[in-house]
Amino acid sequence: MVALHKPRVLIAEDDPDTLVILRINLTAVGIEPMLASDGRTALERIETESPDALLLDVLLPGIDGWQVLEQLHAKGDPVPVIVCSGKDNILDLQRARDLGAVAYLVKPFDIDRLIEVTSEVVGLRQTDPAIDRRTAADADGVELA
Amino acid sequence: MRNHRQSEPDRLRRDARIAGLRDFQTPSLEAVEQRRRQLWQRTATALALIAAVVVSFAIIPSARLTGSGAGRILFVIVGVGGGLFLWAFHKETALERLTRSLTDERVLTAALTNRLHEVSLLLDAGKQMNAHLQMDELLDTILRSACELLDATGGSVMLVEETDLVTVCALGRDAAVGQRMRLGEGVGGYVAIRREPVLIDGHADPDLFPGLVLREPYVESAMSVPLVHRAELQGVLNVNAPIGRSFTEYDLRALAVFAEQAALAVANARLYEAERAHVAALLDLRKRREVG
Repeated sequence: MVALHKPRVLIAEDDPDTLVILRINLTAVGIEPMLASDGRTALERIETESPDALLLDVLLPGIDGWQVLEQLHAKGDPVPVIVCSGKDNILDLQRARDLGAVAYLVKPFDIDRLIEVTSEVVGLRQTDPAIDRRTAADADGVELA
Repeated sequence: MRNHRQSEPDRLRRDARIAGLRDFQTPSLEAVEQRRRQLWQRTATALALIAAVVVSFAIIPSARLTGSGAGRILFVIVGVGGGLFLWAFHKETALERLTRSLTDERVLTAALTNRLHEVSLLLDAGKQMNAHLQMDELLDTILRSACELLDATGGSVMLVEETDLVTVCALGRDAAVGQRMRLGEGVGGYVAIRREPVLIDGHADPDLFPGLVLREPYVESAMSVPLVHRAELQGVLNVNAPIGRSFTEYDLRALAVFAEQAALAVANARLYEAERAHVAALLDLRKRREVG
């Protein structure tokens, strides 16, 4: 099926350099990036613009990434979330999984890997609207299935 | 990657041109919203006029047309209406893209502003800390600056003394000053041994922090970071959140960055103390020689 519009991915990240790098790289592979530099903006843009996926940094000012994830989970929002964190401990991975994240990327991440995971998640959402029911668990400290 | 891919400003300009914002100089979401209102007001007016013409053809006897001419005219009118709607839709699509792009630019600006603000606060804190060489003054400045930076109500600074951590400065709980704990004991000891920042929400887990002494009064949210300079542990910095507020991982990172500067200042103050003691010893030696 040919998509009528480019998949849109909201990048919630506080670091301006990372925001720009992710925007350039996602645009290059045909994904339309949207930006949020704090949790509140991320929640607002999800509410009003319904992105196809959310790339969520844990470290956000104000409402942090975990709180964003908790709120989305509580609302039952179907947006697939890829959590990005500097920690690779099992507790955080478990927490992300319990809150319905579909992937967990450990920083500093390989940009190719990030694009691969993001593209996969966006593609999965097009064929599997129930992606929020997926559970976390596999790849290099990162993915979920 | 396509080489001819348009840059963000080019894309903005193109969408602005399509949307009818000809004097588009400075990105403005307000201008886009105004243009959107204008576009749909004009479209609605034009469609209403077309509808009025169609209705008048139908109900006014003198304007009523018959035969194939009427069909053609109606076809043209409906075609104009459809074309108008498509034109408006095309403009609306460009306006939507503009809105998203401008929102993204605002987000980027906000991210840069926040980062500049953080750097500026850290720079100020660094200047204040480096203005002191007396340990007591320095520790007080470190604690107050950390609390100011993170809107914390209190905290403490613990310094390493041989195999112990000693609370040498406290804000909000003066009784803590002078308390001593072994490295590895409690939250501070855990942070000192592991040399990693810790964020505590709610009650600290005694299994995770052996030798934990429950704090009075109860602190809902707290952070502890190690003070490490050139791989040498100087101490631990603790801050407590006010009632009703919880620290986040973001706050923890800010405190960890702050702690790097604080550790440098503590190391310098210790060096200064050691030098002063050394000079005092030399002066004392010279005085003894003169007397002898």
